[in-house]
Amino acid sequence: MSEPVASVERDGRAAVVRLHGDLTVPTAKALYVGLQDLARRRDVRSIILDFGEVGRIDSSGVAAVSLVGQQIKRSGKQLDMRELEDRHRAAFAMLPKKVESHEPTIEQDSTLEKVGGGVIAAWDGAKALTSIVKDAGHQAALVVSRRKQLPAGSVAAQIVEMGFNGAFIVGVLAFLIGVTMAFQGVTQLERFGAGVFVADMISLSMVRELAPLITAIILTGRTGAAIAAELGTMKVRSEIDALATMGINPNRFLILPRLIAITIAGPALTLMAMFIGMLGGMLVASLTIGLPAIAYWQRIAEFVDLGDYAHGLMKSVLFSWIIAMSGSHFGMRATGDSSSVGNATTRTVVVSVLLIIFVDAAFATAATVWKGG
Amino acid sequence: MTALLECRNVSVGYDKPILENVDLAVESGELVALLGGSGSGKSTLLRTMTGLLPPLSGEVLLFGESLYDLPPEGRSELLTRTGTAFQQDALFGSMTIGDNVALPLCELTNLPASLIKEMVRMKLGLVGLAGFEDRTPNSLSGGQRKRAALARTTILDPQLVFCDEPSAGLDPVVAATIDDTLKQFRSTLGLTLVVVTHVIESVRAIADRAVMLASGRICAAGTLAELEASTVPEVYSFFHRVPPPMTTSRTAISSITRGAT
Repeated sequence: MSEPVASVERDGRAAVVRLHGDLTVPTAKALYVGLQDLARRRDVRSIILDFGEVGRIDSSGVAAVSLVGQQIKRSGKQLDMRELEDRHRAAFAMLPKKVESHEPTIEQDSTLEKVGGGVIAAWDGAKALTSIVKDAGHQAALVVSRRKQLPAGSVAAQIVEMGFNGAFIVGVLAFLIGVTMAFQGVTQLERFGAGVFVADMISLSMVRELAPLITAIILTGRTGAAIAAELGTMKVRSEIDALATMGINPNRFLILPRLIAITIAGPALTLMAMFIGMLGGMLVASLTIGLPAIAYWQRIAEFVDLGDYAHGLMKSVLFSWIIAMSGSHFGMRATGDSSSVGNATTRTVVVSVLLIIFVDAAFATAATVWKGG
Repeated sequence: MTALLECRNVSVGYDKPILENVDLAVESGELVALLGGSGSGKSTLLRTMTGLLPPLSGEVLLFGESLYDLPPEGRSELLTRTGTAFQQDALFGSMTIGDNVALPLCELTNLPASLIKEMVRMKLGLVGLAGFEDRTPNSLSGGQRKRAALARTTILDPQLVFCDEPSAGLDPVVAATIDDTLKQFRSTLGLTLVVVTHVIESVRAIADRAVMLASGRICAAGTLAELEASTVPEVYSFFHRVPPPMTTSRTAISSITRGAT
């Protein structure tokens, strides 16, 4: 062992290590390595550490002695510590106490357990969602039968927030998509002298597909995320628990007004998006191929029937419910901390968009099969 | 006296029990403090008592009825006879203080608006917030928010009120005000209270009886004097502010030197 940390004297099979100076960061490595070497020697059965000339001991010195002590124990040898002053004992008190725990040791989950845990969590989530949907339906029935009331003005306030405040962005997007589609359509159709059919293309796309989809995506980002964040924050701040302990059903008080409002605002925005999108197409058709506005709208009136509008609006209602229920479900499942609110909004947006696209595809398939039949 | 609240061999927790074999009865007119350190399960037990968390086993009787055997409507109905003040005041940020306090009346009764307004004024006056009806929760201090929450909790004149850490996070003077408010509620409205707290001063000021939770069970129950004289290690440690045993230098050193030979 190198000076000035320690000097070693042999006493038969025992090694007496006289430590010198401070056992601190600058000397800890030398101490640790020296003691390790000593502990490994086969001719040494016990080590005696003499602290008589030791000054200060910091955590590095304590750690070095502790680690070597463990190594000595494992190799069946003995360690003794002598001439310890109170300040040295105080330094060793930094060592964590071994607590005898009655708790079972927490073991890392295996991959299978993780997958199983995920499935159970998904199943729990599905059950919670079903429970919210069921209770919201029950509360709606109570409200319709006038046995319970909705909070005064809550539906109107939500319609303003979801519908009026979102109308501008939905309108702008629908208009731009109508314009883009018209430019692409006109360019292609004019090559075959069929520019007039741009009205058919835009109207059918907007009414059956794009308007419900654009509106739903905007509503997901604006309204779905807002519902999740609002309910999540209320959950974290115990406001929802407060309602429950007052005997007020949180689903009727918070979710039902949002569900009703989005059922009105969603289709209303979709209808608006349909016409604004077609308007964008009309402007392009009029400016590029000189298609008169009257001819454009007449063409649409002949080509798009009420069934197409019903198809688009029905989808819009379903999309709205998906958004409201996802936002409510994930918001209500927020727990404890503020990060859970962020997670709730993220999940709402991802799950809503996924379900919307899925339902859209199912609608398209069903419509095709039905028409084919 | 009759027990307004009774826990019979109740175990509470989420996945695993936090507290087990809880037997507790709260008689009419009492103020019972649930004591315990952080993580001892006080708030979890309170959630079970207030209908928010079903027990893992056992039975919770509220006004003689088994709370969790009732259908949701029946449970809600029963809970209207109680009030709960949460650790976070749980005031609705989008509403004024007046609307917050009036909410249970608006939702659960058909009282005329003028009467509701008067009741709100009265209850806000009782908690020292007269004239705060039009203020928003954000414009109030922590103590004022707690008092507004207490006004909302008692607006339906419940028989039994649960308070979760009513004075947590407040300075001693404001905490004393909250204690006074609770005492006033008790004398004025004849309330029975179950208060979760870890503030010993608060317990001294308000409680008739205290129940100490530690190590996953009720480790002591009785009057404050009885608990203060208790030699049960957890109770002694709590009341005399003695930290749990830490590593002593002797045991630390023996943990290093205790050889296998």
